[in-house]
Amino acid sequence: MNARILLIEDKAGLLNTLKSLLELHDYSVITARNGEEGLAMAIRHLPDLVISDIYMPVINGYELLDRFREHPALCKIPVLITSAKKEDDEIEHAMRKGAAGYLVKPFVFVHLHEQIKKALKKNQQS
Amino acid sequence: MDSTHTSKSSTLLSNASNILAITAHEFKTPLTTIASIVDLLSIKLQADRYMNPFYEEQLSRITSEIFSLNNMLDEMLTINNIMSGNFEAKKELLYVEEQILPLKEQFRSLTDDHKTLQITMSGTPCKILANSGQLTRIFTNLFSNAFKFSRKNAPTVHLSYQEKALVITVSDDGIGIPPEDLPHLFQPYYRGSNTNGIAGTGLGLTIVKTFVTANDGEITVSSEPDKGTVFTLAFRYPDTYQ
Repeated sequence: MNARILLIEDKAGLLNTLKSLLELHDYSVITARNGEEGLAMAIRHLPDLVISDIYMPVINGYELLDRFREHPALCKIPVLITSAKKEDDEIEHAMRKGAAGYLVKPFVFVHLHEQIKKALKKNQQS
Repeated sequence: MDSTHTSKSSTLLSNASNILAITAHEFKTPLTTIASIVDLLSIKLQADRYMNPFYEEQLSRITSEIFSLNNMLDEMLTINNIMSGNFEAKKELLYVEEQILPLKEQFRSLTDDHKTLQITMSGTPCKILANSGQLTRIFTNLFSNAFKFSRKNAPTVHLSYQEKALVITVSDDGIGIPPEDLPHLFQPYYRGSNTNGIAGTGLGLTIVKTFVTANDGEITVSSEPDKGTVFTLAFRYPDTYQ
């Protein structure tokens, strides 16, 4: 069965393009436009992996990571963070909150795909 | 009256600095969207068997320009942080070659003619006290310039571990810098009079100079038009500080 990915991004252009790219690589993709909607989608669909932006309305990526870690059904789901911020403290902050990976914008899809495969493999092994 | 003006100017500058930082970061999402659209087009052209060397080259050029634009944004952000006094100062003891070696790969993949940075060393390696991120930025900017301007030979970097200091030279055989430009080289937005048509913001060397100084180092430049340029950096070892 193909992995199901929840993509959370408030910019529609990027959300739709990444969705198409992931679907071309045979992933099943569900989407949300902010952290709150993403959290609800995660609880409903229990995806294999989440890709989330950090700076979004309602619940930001950091809060989302906290909510995931606190939720018994979501705490094992790997969350990859994408952000325009490349400062070490931002990356460390996200990783401390349990992110499975951090990708600095702009990125090329091949790098995102590498992180997806790595996170899914690690999660399967654990 | 004067203090009110100073306070207002300072608030305006701070607001302008924040607006610039927010705007530069906001640009990065559309850049990611464009890069992703290029990836999507490339995959679809391959899948539909329409891809050919011409399309491949043009798509690769778009991606390359996206990352050039991103580098310009990063330079603007760094200068903005420097001007507002907001940049990292955490220093640690480190070996400079450990900062430089990963960059060798980065620059190899970015050049069309597969030139590789030539790294040589002399003396016994010693640690210096510096900020790792700032050192990486210093060398990224210097190597980027060296690759941009070099002609026949690959740029070289030599690390000379001398008695009291590490002296690093970064050399290229490029177009050189006219003597009248040398005194202004590290000023923000200053670009050499012979760099028309060559991409750049004029901020890279200002960042280099600021970060070298912030790490208690010194930088000098010597250059000859049509022969090349040598940047020399010196960082004293921590046990020689007085």
